[in-house]
Amino acid sequence: MTRDNQARETPPSTAYRRRSSVDVDGVHEKWPFVKGEMAPAQLYSTTSGRLFHSGKIAIITVGLPARGKTHLSVALTRYLRWLGVITHTFHLGDYRRAHCAPGQDVPEDYFFVNASPSSVLLRQKILRQCRTDIYEFFDRHGGQVAIYDAVNPTAAGRRLLAKEFLKNDIHPIFIESTCDDMKIIEENVRNVKISSPDYAGWKPEDAVQDYLRRITVKIPHFETMEEIELDYIKMINAGERIIVNNCRFGYLPNRIVFYLMNLHIKTRRTYFARSGIADHDSYKADAPLSEQGLDYSRRLADTITKFRVEELRAHIAAGGSKEDRPLVVWTSTRIRTVQTADQLAAKGIKVRQRQQLSQLNPGAVEGLSEKEIRELYPEELEKHNQDPYHHRYPRSESYHDLAVRLEPIILELEREHNDLLIIAHESVLRVLYAYLMACSTADIPTMKFGRDEIVEIVPASYNNVARRIPIPPGTHQEVPNTPFGFPPVFTGI
Amino acid sequence: MAEATKPAGLLSTPSSNANTPRLEAPGVKSPTPIYSMSAVEDTRICVVMVGLPARGKSLIAGKIVRYLRWLSVDARTFNVGTYRRQDTPQPTADFFDTNNKEGERMRRVAAEAAVKDMLKWFAQEKGTVAILDATNSTQARRRWIAQTVGQYGIEVMFVESKCDDEDLIMSNIMEVKTTSPDYRGQDPELAAKDFRNRIRNYEKIYETITETDYTYVKLINVGTQVVINCIQDYLQSRIVYFLMNLHIKPRSIWLSRHGESMFNLAGKIGGDADLSPRGFRYSEALPEICRQAGIVPEQNITVWTSTMKRTIQTAQHLPYNKLQWKALDELDSGTCDGLTYEEIEEQFPEDFRARDDDKYNYRYRGGESYRDLVIRLEPIIMEMERQENVMVVTHQAVIRCIYAYFMNVPQDRSPWMEIPLHTVIKLTPKAYGTKEERFKANIPAVSTFRPKYSSAKHQETDSPDVNELSVKMNV
Repeated sequence: MTRDNQARETPPSTAYRRRSSVDVDGVHEKWPFVKGEMAPAQLYSTTSGRLFHSGKIAIITVGLPARGKTHLSVALTRYLRWLGVITHTFHLGDYRRAHCAPGQDVPEDYFFVNASPSSVLLRQKILRQCRTDIYEFFDRHGGQVAIYDAVNPTAAGRRLLAKEFLKNDIHPIFIESTCDDMKIIEENVRNVKISSPDYAGWKPEDAVQDYLRRITVKIPHFETMEEIELDYIKMINAGERIIVNNCRFGYLPNRIVFYLMNLHIKTRRTYFARSGIADHDSYKADAPLSEQGLDYSRRLADTITKFRVEELRAHIAAGGSKEDRPLVVWTSTRIRTVQTADQLAAKGIKVRQRQQLSQLNPGAVEGLSEKEIRELYPEELEKHNQDPYHHRYPRSESYHDLAVRLEPIILELEREHNDLLIIAHESVLRVLYAYLMACSTADIPTMKFGRDEIVEIVPASYNNVARRIPIPPGTHQEVPNTPFGFPPVFTGI
Repeated sequence: MAEATKPAGLLSTPSSNANTPRLEAPGVKSPTPIYSMSAVEDTRICVVMVGLPARGKSLIAGKIVRYLRWLSVDARTFNVGTYRRQDTPQPTADFFDTNNKEGERMRRVAAEAAVKDMLKWFAQEKGTVAILDATNSTQARRRWIAQTVGQYGIEVMFVESKCDDEDLIMSNIMEVKTTSPDYRGQDPELAAKDFRNRIRNYEKIYETITETDYTYVKLINVGTQVVINCIQDYLQSRIVYFLMNLHIKPRSIWLSRHGESMFNLAGKIGGDADLSPRGFRYSEALPEICRQAGIVPEQNITVWTSTMKRTIQTAQHLPYNKLQWKALDELDSGTCDGLTYEEIEEQFPEDFRARDDDKYNYRYRGGESYRDLVIRLEPIIMEMERQENVMVVTHQAVIRCIYAYFMNVPQDRSPWMEIPLHTVIKLTPKAYGTKEERFKANIPAVSTFRPKYSSAKHQETDSPDVNELSVKMNV
């Protein structure tokens, strides 16, 4: 019997925890970290490790450099892993660089159709190594989706690739990213490509033009996808237009297109902050902010406002654009969360209440101490300690339930073009942070979000970076969440 | 203010946020619909169908409306043909000839009337998504719509169904000639011939969408190729995702509540009780009832249950693959969990009254409303659209929501529907409606149906002598 909560019945004895810290984006780490590990929003597990009866899929990117292929590969990996699909990105560029001496690039004719024999040999060697790793991922690591991030410029080459994967019982889907809007390409080059040491000391405009010139010289021959017998998704101008060809063999391709419709490649920030505290709050009472809570809301508003003004000033000083990205705020519909944003609303910042951002339902154990839980539900406590992510106390939500219910929020978060501050309960922040930083289910229930800092997520080309912005202490003493110090998440606060 | 602040187009202002009285306090009904998925607060979309006759436009339009309404997005179809029929009830193909100036003028008048009513609906009834169902087959017509509708800040999204699969077109023509009011009472063969001529007249002027500055989705041969242009927000992407999950293979869905539980016997709501002895008898009888309801033993079917004991116990003897979904758990009645309706009325008289005033929006203290339940069932519905044969064993409120989706039951009625215990409901979606059959087991159970404002105890139902079957068609 397959069931969505199988892992809950036979909880693993050891918690699966990522080796690196949760401060580092885990999207490039090998995943699952431990065999059989469930992803945060995974609905059920199977013995093969593959989901949705979608089989093995190779997603093959197509497109010239600076079309956002890498960003797309990484973003898709993040989303599919979140759903429990065992996914890994293989950047051919990484393999190319590994074959060159430091600071060196591949030969000038490497991408040419009529390249010299030595360049062809090198190309084949690099491709072979990348391909070997992909097959190993499928055969030995239970992989379901391999994202092969490369230029793949010719129709003939793509047909061969499709044939080879199909022969190995892997369903190929091509995703082409193409642009006819030079502004999008230049913006992407400016943000991602010219930060390399090669362009140190260059004027940004000159560096962009030089980079584009080099692409044309290096890859003179490129054919856009027209092979109607293949399964492909063509993204034109960063998702302005999407053409889906075939791709009707299951749930996953539709889900991927749904995700791609909400993806963009513009850079922007996400901030996370706790809501202020209330005096006699509980999950059911839903009380307004206390004096301390009000004080916190003022300090939060001042900190974020000041921080953004300074950031913009520094950005302009470094030669960046003067354009200020607007800030929007999302809160849950709980009174104290809404009130925490009142100070920002008063500054004219748009605040939206989102029902799905409401906190984890603590159910029957709300406000209970560990001792009380032990007396009332000894077996439940045992189960909870085994798997705090999936375990559900009577009538409560688990973190897993929360992650599933946050799905629309996650897609809207991807779609948002403005900078975004999310003010919510710690349980919600844990889950959203885990999505952006690819944390594991073992990390989520214990991650800390204090009221002394705002957490900022900055997107970089390969991964996201988390930073912490301190909030100065207030006039009121911070009180611990529960007098008993037992799972703070199970209080309404 | 809450999500669906209207009038649409107004952003929440600082003053409206300060000391906001919350709309969603527990135990208090929410007066404004809280849209679950998106930025609906200032979004209004006009979905404009595009395509030759017999390309399934009306079917697609109907499905979108049903899906959105179920998500509490106010959606409505405006069918230009309906307006045209007021003056020309049964036109011949000549009416649609481009050289027929009078025909063209009358068709334009009909389109103007439909758009006018649609704009009125947006303005006066605060609608969110309107579907303009017509061929809209020329660039000129589309430009006129985009300008007329766009000037009111309404997003225009074209959905084109383009199809050159002769079999599919023919099956659509057969459907149309027998069901369209244009051909009511006419000889089917002549009707089919005339309809083919009408299509030919449209083909002369038909221009597929190439206007890249518009938001559009082009579905080519039922999704063989899909072109998606300039999606503007999450709700639009949601509509496209829904369109991509649709399939047109024949299939059925079987629904059953769990067998009678110990809580049902005691008249208590909620909880996670075991089945009663009669409930266990139902679980034993269920495989046979399913056979009667058309599930053959070797059929490829999956049984979905909730994670609660009473549904798992009910499905235990079914010899099919099973899947437990947390999302199928019963509506959470919060502090009222484990109480009888009498006790609720006694302990929370105001809540008891408030719930019956607006049962769909009422959220139990610390629990859920029907509206909350629909949010959590959304992935289930998407998966049901994608799957072929599914049997779902779940709870009263959950079945009400799923049933309401397939049978298009409005929110003021769906929480009050009677879904009896020990009965299998079979739903078979057809082109213009869903066929419903009920198979009642010969095992008595209490009735858990409670009429408005009553706290009557659960009643014994009459024990039928034989398994009962009833059939009806919802159109």
